[in-house]
Amino acid sequence: MAETGFLPKDKINGFLEALGKDSLVYMPVLEGDTIIFRPFSPEKNLCLDRPANSPPKSVIFPQSDVLFSYRYEKETDDPKKVSVKIESHTDYPKAVIFGCRPCDVMGFTVYDRVYIEANGPDTYYKERRDKTAIITLSCPVPSAGCFCTALGGGPANREGSDVLMTGLEKGFFFEPVSEKGKAMLSAPGMEDGARYMQEAQNKQQDAYNAVKKPFPSVSHTELSRKRFDLNEFWQQAVSKCVSCGACTFLCPTCYCFNFTDEQTLESGERIRSWDACMFYHFTLETSGHNPRPTRFERYRNRVGHKFLFYPEKYNGVIACSGCGRCIRYCPVSVDISEIVSQLRSPE
Amino acid sequence: MEQSFNPYLPELATVIKITEETPNIKSYRVVFDDPEKMKTFSFEPGQVGQLYVFGVGEATFVINSPPTRMEYLQFSVMKAGEVTSAIHDLHEGDQVGVRAPLGNCFPYNEMKGKNILFIGGGIGLAPLRTLILYMLDNRKDYNDITIIYGARTPVDLCYKDELSEWESSPDVNLILTVDNEYPGWDKRTGFVPTVLNEVAPSPDNTIAITCGPPIMIKFVLQNLAKLNFKDEDIITTLEARMKCGIGICGRCNIGSKYICKDGPVFSLTQIKESGADI
Amino acid sequence: MYKVKADKLKEVVTNVLNDVDLVIGYKQGFDAVHATPHFITSADQIDGLVWNPLCVHNLTTYLPALKMKKIGVIVKGCDSRTIVQFIQEGLVTRENLVIIGIPCTGVISVNKVLKETSRELLEEIVFDDSGNVTAVTGKGRKTLPLAELSPDKCRTCQYPTPLVYDHLVGDPVKSDKVPEGVYADIKEFEGKTLEERMKYWEQEFDRCIRCYACRNACPMCICQDNCIAESRDPHWMTQKMTLTEKFMFHMIHALHLAGRCVECGECERVCPMGIPVNKLKKKINQEMKELFDYEPGVSLDDKPPMFMFNVDELKIKEHKI
Repeated sequence: MAETGFLPKDKINGFLEALGKDSLVYMPVLEGDTIIFRPFSPEKNLCLDRPANSPPKSVIFPQSDVLFSYRYEKETDDPKKVSVKIESHTDYPKAVIFGCRPCDVMGFTVYDRVYIEANGPDTYYKERRDKTAIITLSCPVPSAGCFCTALGGGPANREGSDVLMTGLEKGFFFEPVSEKGKAMLSAPGMEDGARYMQEAQNKQQDAYNAVKKPFPSVSHTELSRKRFDLNEFWQQAVSKCVSCGACTFLCPTCYCFNFTDEQTLESGERIRSWDACMFYHFTLETSGHNPRPTRFERYRNRVGHKFLFYPEKYNGVIACSGCGRCIRYCPVSVDISEIVSQLRSPE
Repeated sequence: MEQSFNPYLPELATVIKITEETPNIKSYRVVFDDPEKMKTFSFEPGQVGQLYVFGVGEATFVINSPPTRMEYLQFSVMKAGEVTSAIHDLHEGDQVGVRAPLGNCFPYNEMKGKNILFIGGGIGLAPLRTLILYMLDNRKDYNDITIIYGARTPVDLCYKDELSEWESSPDVNLILTVDNEYPGWDKRTGFVPTVLNEVAPSPDNTIAITCGPPIMIKFVLQNLAKLNFKDEDIITTLEARMKCGIGICGRCNIGSKYICKDGPVFSLTQIKESGADI
Repeated sequence: MYKVKADKLKEVVTNVLNDVDLVIGYKQGFDAVHATPHFITSADQIDGLVWNPLCVHNLTTYLPALKMKKIGVIVKGCDSRTIVQFIQEGLVTRENLVIIGIPCTGVISVNKVLKETSRELLEEIVFDDSGNVTAVTGKGRKTLPLAELSPDKCRTCQYPTPLVYDHLVGDPVKSDKVPEGVYADIKEFEGKTLEERMKYWEQEFDRCIRCYACRNACPMCICQDNCIAESRDPHWMTQKMTLTEKFMFHMIHALHLAGRCVECGECERVCPMGIPVNKLKKKINQEMKELFDYEPGVSLDDKPPMFMFNVDELKIKEHKI
């Protein structure tokens, strides 16, 4: 039985269609100049040239999700009495994410600790997570702003994936990482990958060496707490931040959310939606008091959460995958890796 | 529904009694609709619950009835915004949702054998009440219990019935105050932090627990420090905007701690260590 | 040319810094094709200032929040229109501003540069004095005229020289673009059928992630912290990520900018999902021009039409008999 596989380029559609028989398959699609994860269909323009603008986190953690709905109903045995009936569903279909990058998948491992291991568990997240298989594409080259290798990751990092694909001239080298991944080796069109292994490993190593490192490595224990607490440092570093949510919503490791409740006549629902600690209202209290009234405190909290607080709770794991999206898509190019560098330099 | 427990689903409960404590504070006693849930429900003093008005939203309140009196759960609600206004529009018999217990509790076991000093202002008596009643129900476990409680005017004092009981009870030393002179008020006047200075309790073998408006807390903490209370012997409850209540949604953090899960009860040492924005 | 201007700019800023709390300019960003706003509070930061076609940001977006402070700000022609509009609406205190204007010969669109260089990692971008841009990647070099790499707004720019300034760095530049060109793209779009246009917007807005980068980058959008997009009272929309909700946000946002948007194009530049949001605002501006003969951000003595009321509007025939 082969241990690795090789999928020729012209067999990709067939492979995805076969997966699609019992799963919803999501792949990166080119729309204009934007790459976004969409449900597979053969007419869509699959594009693996560069990381998608937005990570596939909405497959497992939808941007908006109805957690439960309810209705007011009259009691059959006592029509004067009206009571509430709540309904909730978590029977989600199986899903496959095809063609994301290692930095995207690393995000899911960050969520797992919070949503499943340490709290809850969050049944909505867990159900989707258990039913989703992830076929990751290793990056052939870094993008502008990428710094995964400085955080212990890499363009061919396997953590969290079920399969790691490496793009070669005529197709994709398939390395299963989990049992789910191994099962895919028997997919239609898949060949034995053994003779491509060396080529794939060379490519992976080249890609690793090409990623720029703003710092050699970082641990939360070596960040200057003194500088972190200093207001002037943040006023200097993030005066230009406009406090939108682009960095948060495009970040594979960001997972904060909001609840809003809606009711029309006698039925309603609770909606969970993505929220961003960069927004003013994130911590705004009813009294009007806001513990983080300015964008300096909010950005400090963002960096703190990813590089200090999360690692403190979870064995030093940094909640940033170095994907660089926040840097690329920030309206004013706030550079989190530069800020972390400054927190890392000696006093 | 599925077998695994869903922490976001509110448990249905019915409002059985509403008491007007002050012009803008009402207390709500609720009972779970499911009698099994009511029987098996347990919590520790200091823990909170999310009270849900269907279609409007949830807000966090301490369960201020004690676990030693479990016929109902009580929440005291000050009318302040969207959800609390909707709660104030509820009637007895209305259904609400409850997600409880959440958060940590007062370290009531560690406090055994010590003198307890409660310092509360306005609605700040609500979280203290659960612990006071618990301690009164377990009186021999604790040494002297002193309560310094004040509000803006006599009308704004909460739990007036209990305050009368405590005034005449030998089990507890109650010191009441209102901010300024008021017709018909013949007891102390003065802000709570000032009264604290006047009473000047000893820090020896004493734990101080304080809840109230942020400005009161600020001065109480200053004065406790001047009275030589150690940071680890000062306990308070923190508030924040809360949504999930179980440490996931990410918004109520101070440093790496979540107020909904690692709090809301914190010692002053913990608050200072977190170094975070409050 | 750019280096000469940058040096002159540094001289001007050195002087201005004596009179203000802060000067906002540009410095080199995280890679070869990005500049980034530079907040200068001390003289040792002045050397980091740059001036070149990478300086695309509209720095005036920071001004309303800093109304009480004395601020120096560097503006291109399009950016200065924002200041004119701010003055019309009372959003800045003119005496607190020191406006350093730079006549602009065009900026680059990062997206266009990346496309032309097959999205290879850019090592260097060189702007020469003949209006050419050379992009250097690991795979080679490519030289193109700046005009081909500019965003659409530069191709129809009517006001390359700042309309209001205290210092002008460089000689004024006159526009060589015809005024009819400004809304040519709108006219072309309106040539499509209603169904085609609806399908277009449905496809584009489907990608919207309600990150509000467009809203927050917009200088005229000043109610950001209390936006209808999130408000519960009044409650205009839910947090559901459906087309309806997204349309609602974008329509209301565009309407709130009616007669106020100076078409600086920041909204479209910052959208991480490549949605042409500027089109909506341009369409409304075109209507405002036809109805009220008003162009935002051009004349200091004007008042935005949506701030005023005439019983008998010249071009709105309400009282037909």
